[in-house]
Amino acid sequence: MRITVNGRQRDVSSEPVKTLLHVLREDLGLTGTKDGCSSGDCGACTVMLDGRVVNSCMVMVAQADGASVVTVEGIATGGQPAEVLHPLQKAFSQCWSFQCGFCTQGMLVSCYDLLQTNDNPSREDILTAIAGNFCRCTGYQAVVTAVQQAAAEIRTSDAGAQNERA
Amino acid sequence: MNHPDYIAAESIQQALHLKQVHGEDAHVVAGGTDLILRMRDEILAPELLIDLRKISLDRISKHEGGMQLGAYVQIAQLLAHPVIKETYPALAEACRQFAGPPIRNRGTLGGNIINASPAADLLPPLMAYDASLVLESISGQREMPLDQFLQGPGQTRLAPNELLTRIMLPQILANSATSFIKLGHRRSMAIAIVNVCTRISLAKDGSVEQARVVLGSVAPTVIRSQESEARLKGQLLSEDLIEDCARLAADDATPISDVRASSEYRKRMVRVLVRRALTANQSELSGGIAGA
Amino acid sequence: MSAPETGIVGRWTSSPGATDIVTGRARYCPDIQLPGMLTGKLLYSPHPRARIRDINVSEAQQMPGVHAVITHADIPGENSYLYASPDQPILAIDEVRFQGDAVAAVAAVDEDTALAALRAIKVDYEVLEGIFDPLEAMQADADQVVTGEENVMLGMTFRSGDVASAMASADVIIENTYRTQWAEHAFLETEGSVARMEEGGGITVWSSCQAPHRDRMQVARALGLPESSVRVITPYIGGAFGGKDEAHVQMHAALLAFTAQRPVKLIRGRRESMLTHVKRHPIMVECTTAADSSGLILAVKARAIGDAGPYTNASHEVMNKFGEFIGGPYKVQNLEVEKIAVRTNNPICGAFRGFGAPQAAFVYECQMDEIARKLGLDPLEIRLRNGVDTGTQLCTGVVVRDGDAMKASLRKAAQVTNWKNRDQMNKRPAPHLRRGWGMATILKGAGMGRGLADHAGVLLEMHRDGSVLLNSAAADMGQGITTVLVQLAAERLGVKVSDVRINRADTDRAPDAGASCASRQAMVSGNAVLLAADDIRKTLLTLAAMKTKVESDRLGLRDGRLLIDGEPTDLTVQLLAERASNWGYPLQAQGRAHLEYPSDAPRVPYRYSSEIFQFCTQVAQVLVDIETGQVSVERLVAVHDAGKMINPGGVYGQIEGGVAQGIGYALSEELVVEKGHTMNPSLENYVIPMALDLPEIEMHVLEFPQDGAGPMGAKGVAEAPIIPTAPAIRNAILDATGKTLHQLPMNAERVLKALQD
Repeated sequence: MRITVNGRQRDVSSEPVKTLLHVLREDLGLTGTKDGCSSGDCGACTVMLDGRVVNSCMVMVAQADGASVVTVEGIATGGQPAEVLHPLQKAFSQCWSFQCGFCTQGMLVSCYDLLQTNDNPSREDILTAIAGNFCRCTGYQAVVTAVQQAAAEIRTSDAGAQNERA
Repeated sequence: MNHPDYIAAESIQQALHLKQVHGEDAHVVAGGTDLILRMRDEILAPELLIDLRKISLDRISKHEGGMQLGAYVQIAQLLAHPVIKETYPALAEACRQFAGPPIRNRGTLGGNIINASPAADLLPPLMAYDASLVLESISGQREMPLDQFLQGPGQTRLAPNELLTRIMLPQILANSATSFIKLGHRRSMAIAIVNVCTRISLAKDGSVEQARVVLGSVAPTVIRSQESEARLKGQLLSEDLIEDCARLAADDATPISDVRASSEYRKRMVRVLVRRALTANQSELSGGIAGA
Repeated sequence: MSAPETGIVGRWTSSPGATDIVTGRARYCPDIQLPGMLTGKLLYSPHPRARIRDINVSEAQQMPGVHAVITHADIPGENSYLYASPDQPILAIDEVRFQGDAVAAVAAVDEDTALAALRAIKVDYEVLEGIFDPLEAMQADADQVVTGEENVMLGMTFRSGDVASAMASADVIIENTYRTQWAEHAFLETEGSVARMEEGGGITVWSSCQAPHRDRMQVARALGLPESSVRVITPYIGGAFGGKDEAHVQMHAALLAFTAQRPVKLIRGRRESMLTHVKRHPIMVECTTAADSSGLILAVKARAIGDAGPYTNASHEVMNKFGEFIGGPYKVQNLEVEKIAVRTNNPICGAFRGFGAPQAAFVYECQMDEIARKLGLDPLEIRLRNGVDTGTQLCTGVVVRDGDAMKASLRKAAQVTNWKNRDQMNKRPAPHLRRGWGMATILKGAGMGRGLADHAGVLLEMHRDGSVLLNSAAADMGQGITTVLVQLAAERLGVKVSDVRINRADTDRAPDAGASCASRQAMVSGNAVLLAADDIRKTLLTLAAMKTKVESDRLGLRDGRLLIDGEPTDLTVQLLAERASNWGYPLQAQGRAHLEYPSDAPRVPYRYSSEIFQFCTQVAQVLVDIETGQVSVERLVAVHDAGKMINPGGVYGQIEGGVAQGIGYALSEELVVEKGHTMNPSLENYVIPMALDLPEIEMHVLEFPQDGAGPMGAKGVAEAPIIPTAPAIRNAILDATGKTLHQLPMNAERVLKALQD
């Protein structure tokens, strides 16, 4: 099986019914994606599969054969040490959008997905996007704040880039 | 958990052939969101998994005035479809309230039907819209109304060699209103305590030509309340009639008690929700604003 | 210890681990990979109560890939947990007493093999009739849950004043019976541990826990090793809320690693987690409150029976705290409270954020509104009338040292909600909807309590380049203690937050800091950091005084520079550190602090009383559907006293998270237990509100610094936010419908039933 993970092609030899979560964590060493319940109830394992958020604990790896996966490790750009954090990642840190951080990786992927199609999300848009992501420490307001802050930053930098082209 | 073989079928013929050969030992993978849990809990231990994702069963298209939906259509796809929202709004509403975004992106229409859960969110609207199912086997295909297909929790009339390939939604009569109401313990990621979907289609004289009163999570399968539907037929909608139908629907419900609610509460809620749903229908049909 | 503030304390500061967390690099227990590591799994009893006739592990031991199978007979040291009493076995011996009793443990090359090995273990059980009703368990002729131990593990009555006379003279008496539920922490990272034997016979244990030094003690006891051979490290931890205060699988992981002589990782699954760890106690409370016609509370009498499950754990302490707080933040002169903890074969109960105070607050704040209603008083007025002030002596005997925040929080909540005009709201927005407002105010101790060990040590070191290393064993489960400690060190040493590195808690690197519980670490470990930093600061300033010939009391440190009379100079902290190093002044310090209780205070008859108090008031606006019983919280205002905010981000996070948990506790969260079997051990059926279910939570923080508490007067804030939420919502339902509920959670079905009565 072949899966493109965070832009990189990975060959996977695993039992077909192993979960994508298991393969990401155990075979590919991408432990940023978390296992909170193994039953699709908490969203800690959220990744993007062919451009849409899914619970990786509920996807058999064979279902992802040939697909493209983005995990939390694929949100920043540049790689260490020149890593550039995504505006969402910076905003989550600044706004205390998490405490223990165990839900954060999945939460970030859901918010990252939202910002692909909505550059100015309302509170309701954000809460709807994270309606499958459970946070026990903080709740969700600080996530709303962070996503709106990140969206504003992205809009500003997009506008800047357009002005430069013009 | 057992270790089945896994084939992503390249064509419908291949999938049907595999079903013919392996029968109940072969299980179809659509979204897989329920299958994976049942396999982990060892409720299911198939020898072969047939993945349908490469077959084009994910189309939504118009068909003879109604719609034809592939069994592999995902919940999120239905939710985003403008014609569904316009023409079958109760189905769109059930999709909106279905689990959360990641599950909506994986879970399929066919999977929700085949699971045959009494609490399945999509079944009440599908039944209210008189959906029928296309079941195919290597020897041909048959079409069956959804309300005849469901036999019990997890039990259907799908033969071991058959696949559910399409769901047919007929054209809905002009002058119709539908309403879907889900009562759950929270607004997302909830299993219904009670689901209700009603549809009222009026004749030219304003009397009820067709009525569907569908109840979820209050019987071994999603059911139609025969009594209330019969009571509505040919009548003019009124507050008294609606109250009467709500009572009859509650009488038709045979719920169990579980961790989510007692059977008494569920029965009582059927009455409340059917009244609200029919009232919303009435309001919509009389030109008012539908509201639950 | 006074020094001018440099602006680091009080400023929003990202946690030291933030970048690791948002990039997915942060390693929690499940993320640890070691060469040759095995997967550990535990076999639990399917029965709440059964005698074990035989355990046969021979088949499992023979299976390829299985490296260790252990039962109670294989434990070289003590076979018991030791939170308070050694009555809970690590592996069951001859009887299982609840669904969470482990019987055997295996370690194998992978999860599938380990699970297959569990299935191959044959346990011969003789199922026994369980004891599930605390009232039955209290009968003299009841079977003993733990043979040789009384079922009533705690039965104490505390009396203050003369309750009988006060009741006799009362104008109003309110008497109710309250019931609360089993509640689940649902930390997102389930319990886990990794253990590795080290050369020379020692062992390293990575532990998702709140108390690394107590874990060390417990692992050493189980393995029969000296504590000096055991090292406990906390990696990143995915939440705890009291549920990881006591050890969970650390000893099992260590025993398996010891037996297999290979590293072992043992992580509980979600269902396993929910079936095994301690729950919040369900408590049945009969409470009578007496007041005069002006609403002044004359007396409170309460009898509380807590279902402890089979083992002691923290039940004594939780019920003791329940009794300590049952008087609320009020000037109650006459009090009688009977505290009973009973053994049953139900889930084990123990620590959970608030430690008995949420149950107590639900009782006293519901009583308060019923008295107000009976007398036609405003809920705000009756609380102001009875509320404590600075100097009030509580019925426990404790004198409230700084009580100004109590009424301030009430007034602030009333002001921001425009409480006096609340009747102008639309109380009936639709025929089936009712709207109402409710209020609750509470006090909760911060710190362990008088007479209990409440100390912490830290090690601090400044290197010659001015960078700082901080070692603390205060576990950070997400609540943010590492951020607070880094801020305090940076503040006092005049360096940037980014100049201070803090290690995750490690018993080999840092002295005991006690458990991260009781809202104590910011105070105790915080004070320890200030002491250590002041030690180093003193050396730096002495060197600076020698160099500048300016008296050291005119000197300060800020932004990496020396200050003279508050003005920055060219002399850097880095240069001073280099000089210290060159001249042989080591910039290393140990800080050691304990919470002090005033020695001149009057005698405090209530044992282990807290003397530092968190105050908070919450106001809830609810909408009740009177046909379905569903309650939605439309608005929630939370006013909290933090003493002094060190990191506002962390404080607001604790408040919002606590209120969210409080809303779940109020309306939907409940472990349903039938004859010892938990019926809903999943996040699907144990219903916790999610993003779309919560209202916008409006938070207001008051700062009433308290002497003798934490740094700059800071007080713990962790527990208080969950406490007033349930009674505030309950009182709002009362306002909306006129119906009094006395049982949690107030789910739709229960509310509808109350509406019918």
